[in-house]
Amino acid sequence: MNQTTYLIAGSSHAAIEAVAAIRMVDPEGEVVMATADQRLPYSPTILPYVVSGRTSPETATLRGAAWLEANRVRFLAASPIAEVQPDQRQVRMADGAVWRYERLLLATGARPALPPIAGLAAQPHHVLRTVEDALALQAAIAGARQAVILGAGLVGLHAAETMRKAGLGVTVIEQKSQVLPGYFDGEASRMIEKAFRDHGIEMVMGETAAAVEAQDDKGFRLQLAGGGERAGDLLLIAAGVRPVTDFLAGSGVDLGQGVLVDARMRTSVPNVWAAGDVAQADRFLDGVKAMAGILPNAVEQGRIAGADMAGDSAVKPFPGSVPLNTFAYFGNHAISVGALDEAGAVIETHAGDGCYIRLVIAEGRLRGISAINHVVDAGLMWQLILRRIDLAPVLQDFLARPHEIGRVLMSRLWR
Amino acid sequence: MGNAFNTITFDKGRCDGCGDCMTVCAKLPGSAGRSRLSVIVAPDRSDFELAICRQCGQPKCVMNCPAGALAKGEQDGIVRWEGAKCVGCLLCTVGCRYGGIVPHAEARQMSKCDQCEGDPACVTVCKSGALSFNRAGALYNRVGNLEDLFAPGLSACQGCNSELLIRHTLRHVGPETVVATPPGCIAGMGAVGYNGQTGTKVPVFHPLLTNTASMLTGIRRTYKRRGRDVTALALAGDGGVVDVGFQSLSGAAERGEELLFICVDNEGYMNTGMQRSGSTSYGSWTSTTPVGKRMHGKSRDSKDMPLMMMMHRCEYVATASLGFMDDYYAKLDKAIAAAKRGMAYIHVYAPCPTGWRFPSSATIETCRKSVETNFVTLWEYTPDAGLRFTRPVDNPIPVEEYLRLFGKYRHLSPEQVTHIRQTTVDKVKHLKMHARAAEEARQANDVPLKGE
Amino acid sequence: MITAKTIVCDGNEAAAWGAVLSRPDMVAVYPITPQSSLAEYLSQFIADGILDAELLDVEGEHSVLSVLHGAALAGARTYTATCGQGLAFMFEPYFRTPPLRLPIVTSLVTRDGITPQCVWGGQQDAMTVKDVGWVHMYCETVQEVLDTLIMAYRIAEHRQVMLPVNVNHDGNYLSYGVCRMELPGQAEVDAFLGPKDINWHVALDPDRPMAVDPLTGGAGGPGPALFVSYRKGLCDGMQHALRVIEEVHDEWALRFGRRWAPLVEEYKLDDADFAIVTIGSMTGAAKDAVDQARARGERVGLIKVKTFRPFPIEAMVRAVSKVEALGVVDRAVSFGWNSGPLHQEVLGALYYGRRPIPAISFIGGLAGADLTVGHFRRVIEQTAAARWTGPGQAPIWLNEND
Repeated sequence: MNQTTYLIAGSSHAAIEAVAAIRMVDPEGEVVMATADQRLPYSPTILPYVVSGRTSPETATLRGAAWLEANRVRFLAASPIAEVQPDQRQVRMADGAVWRYERLLLATGARPALPPIAGLAAQPHHVLRTVEDALALQAAIAGARQAVILGAGLVGLHAAETMRKAGLGVTVIEQKSQVLPGYFDGEASRMIEKAFRDHGIEMVMGETAAAVEAQDDKGFRLQLAGGGERAGDLLLIAAGVRPVTDFLAGSGVDLGQGVLVDARMRTSVPNVWAAGDVAQADRFLDGVKAMAGILPNAVEQGRIAGADMAGDSAVKPFPGSVPLNTFAYFGNHAISVGALDEAGAVIETHAGDGCYIRLVIAEGRLRGISAINHVVDAGLMWQLILRRIDLAPVLQDFLARPHEIGRVLMSRLWR
Repeated sequence: MGNAFNTITFDKGRCDGCGDCMTVCAKLPGSAGRSRLSVIVAPDRSDFELAICRQCGQPKCVMNCPAGALAKGEQDGIVRWEGAKCVGCLLCTVGCRYGGIVPHAEARQMSKCDQCEGDPACVTVCKSGALSFNRAGALYNRVGNLEDLFAPGLSACQGCNSELLIRHTLRHVGPETVVATPPGCIAGMGAVGYNGQTGTKVPVFHPLLTNTASMLTGIRRTYKRRGRDVTALALAGDGGVVDVGFQSLSGAAERGEELLFICVDNEGYMNTGMQRSGSTSYGSWTSTTPVGKRMHGKSRDSKDMPLMMMMHRCEYVATASLGFMDDYYAKLDKAIAAAKRGMAYIHVYAPCPTGWRFPSSATIETCRKSVETNFVTLWEYTPDAGLRFTRPVDNPIPVEEYLRLFGKYRHLSPEQVTHIRQTTVDKVKHLKMHARAAEEARQANDVPLKGE
Repeated sequence: MITAKTIVCDGNEAAAWGAVLSRPDMVAVYPITPQSSLAEYLSQFIADGILDAELLDVEGEHSVLSVLHGAALAGARTYTATCGQGLAFMFEPYFRTPPLRLPIVTSLVTRDGITPQCVWGGQQDAMTVKDVGWVHMYCETVQEVLDTLIMAYRIAEHRQVMLPVNVNHDGNYLSYGVCRMELPGQAEVDAFLGPKDINWHVALDPDRPMAVDPLTGGAGGPGPALFVSYRKGLCDGMQHALRVIEEVHDEWALRFGRRWAPLVEEYKLDDADFAIVTIGSMTGAAKDAVDQARARGERVGLIKVKTFRPFPIEAMVRAVSKVEALGVVDRAVSFGWNSGPLHQEVLGALYYGRRPIPAISFIGGLAGADLTVGHFRRVIEQTAAARWTGPGQAPIWLNEND
């Protein structure tokens, strides 16, 4: 029988940071990293840039063989887990192999969510979660003329820009009334949306697809719930993701939308942790357990899980997730941190000249900031929120010059 | 043992806001016209703060990068950005807490400090001394893998910097050493062990409080006579140096005994309950210079032991403070070499959290303040080159900033503070006289400094 | 190489020659009357290359013994000499030498204590430090100074002893008294002393790292018992010294033909009715007085104490068992029983040997005063009388009316 001290299921940010944290306190323990992926570790976040050609799968490897070797990680590619048996402390892989573990980390991430669209199963379409997806999409773009993208999230908008630049006609259909829902406030979203419209992309907001059917040789026709329809020859589904948890059926691991975890990333089952896009942890601002599948959370949670798995006494519990987003589009850059629509908050907005900044302050503390074409130290703002830094003594200065005052405040906390 | 790295440090007390650092940085080829550090005026205009890449030990910018475009150099610790790999996603900026990495849209690059690959231009151009390049990381790498010759678990008070001192010193001095730790804090923390167990991996002993230099003399001379180069190292408190041990040390210095003698000056007999010594500073509360209706702390100034050792024309004399480890190490190097020719004496000013009454977390801060106020001056002396300041402080911050750190000065009257302010100035003036004389002699003779 | 020859010298030079022949690695000096010429002789011997040793011309007696501590812990054979206030100043490291078990040999050129200010002979200095753990041997003649000094290294470095040894000779009378002396050859002394054996048990040597003198003791834990084992070991070493001193004196006699009583000398004691007890150089005049009394028909004997620490209780009991009264002459006072320190030891021996005979305390020779045959005649007379009258309560001060 195969056995290991640490079994890491997954190979992206959460998995890698968990290994790094384990190695901080346990240089010797055996580590096995088993991933569904075919390749060395990479980040799904990179995929839109693979599609656009800005990078390639080869250059975008997150950690290579040298890193795995230096950290003494046994790497099992193409090894998805089929079943977890916590009572035996073992997992069964899809290929039937059984691994015993002392500590198991679930960092299996997410896979694209497919909306309920009649005829979708029969209709060729693209998603973007793996390098293979990206290469297929890239190839499809080269031979396509009219794309329809379902979803105006990061994946959808990135792809829209890439496709538009490649000369395709592009339609983006978003269920919500704004782009990048959940991350940017209405005003910022409208500016971003406008930039896409200005570049000739059709933005259909507050609309969903009801059905799809083939048309002509390789084209399709999409029926919209609102009555309209769109035709195209490239269909990209970018309607969000669902955590990969199907293999946990019957394992006893408590599931919500994802794997429910506490502040140390422990699941409901002993010796099993979860981190990253698969995990459902507390939100910082309201304490509700919610999915927050963004890269910085995966990094934080991976670190915490690894440290806790290795028994690091200095492990700091997860403070909770804060919405964070960065988005570069058509030569602009947008950043948002925290909550942006709050009752009873002091909201300061400056706009004009293609720039925009919005600050949300409640009880003298920063709750959120979003900005377009403003340099904002996003990580610094994140800390001001997490540390609940009292801004009252400098509030007017902060509202006028958040960037500089933020730097002063954090500089003072460091020496 | 992992690597430690050099850092650019910022002393806001010295910054005058001239902005030269940003100007020079912006002109560097890699900066594309935009400075990679920013000095910012605080909201209340009281002082300055610095935003710069701290080259973190576990850099979140690197962790957050999905493209592998950021990496921390294993040897030098510099976090480097690789343009060819960057996809411009800005997630690195989400990782950074200090405003150390920002997009430079026009240049299509991420702006971050690379320490000019080991010779930061901002530090070179900084006239006020606010920016400095702390090379302690390189020191650590040099000695970090050397064996720690003190046992783990010494029972020093929390925040005591003696443990820092002895571990670093012995690592550096090495195993061919006999260590004398006369009665006092260093011995009391278990350096010589308890009940038959030892605190060190090298020979160590309790001399008498009075005879450290003499016992070491006998050891050094005996080994030298047999052709063995054994370092005779003293780690002695101020009581055993400036008071009751003074005679034997003075005699050894006069005879040119080849000793490496380190005085750890915490200004009193702290191990026995904080009684005053000849090294206790004016005004200090101690358990034998208490504060009451008729007494207000120590009524006399302290002996200036390092100056007295200089007057013995020792092979090497230096003062040191552990707030400035690179300075200490440079001196330790010279002292080790000098101790093969004669007496090498280092006087380490060692703030005592327990006896001086300050938080144990503030020890290094108090060390820094002691130097920044000129309450403590860092200098070195050799018979050839005379006295030289190693970290001159031309615009000291007011000594009150130092005094207010400690409970032992809490009772000071304005008159007492005035006295300390004046003696601090006088002391520096006196040292400058020696430094000037040495400089003039050097210019007159055009004598190159030994070893330079 | 020094060859055996006859020279004429004083006791300080004799001690210096004894040191030279013992080949110490380190000699430390600091001058004090009446030891100063001894320091000068040694310095000159080293300057002339007659003695190959480190000369530590340090800033005071405290450092004199301290440098020797360091040297001995590094394995060096060491020597120094001092007395009086110098010994007092040396006391801090002196007090520590025996428990460190360092086989350091030191001459005490005995001198009386101040105050009144006094630079002359007397054994007050040595007697004041008798209970610290050093071996104390008192010499009678210049020759005995030389011989005992060399023997002292054998005794000190004996593995069952490992203790410092004081070889005491009286200031003025021995230090400056010039007479004929047989100087043994270096090869013979080397053969007698054998290899140096200084720090096998306690060392400050990077090749054998150890902590010398960790804190030991406390109200609980292993400390107090550990401390007892050290103290008891020190006491055992002192007791072993009694046997070793005898063995070494025997061997010396065999090799060099000069036999010195190692612990206690019995002079004309076997048929004596009473005896006087002496220590140090006074013994010469005392023996003359005994001879004269014998010529007058008085059956008087003499007991000379050479080894005062450890006190040779058995030898003393054997000696005092032969007589009916004792007159004990001290060259120092003790503030315990209002008599001299030797007198008190003798009283202890009498109790130990269950012999409640009269023992008078005489104190003389203080501050350089001469103890003449005349003084000892008085001692003998009063001791003889004491057989019938018993001892008085107060000591008899021999020089009180000189």
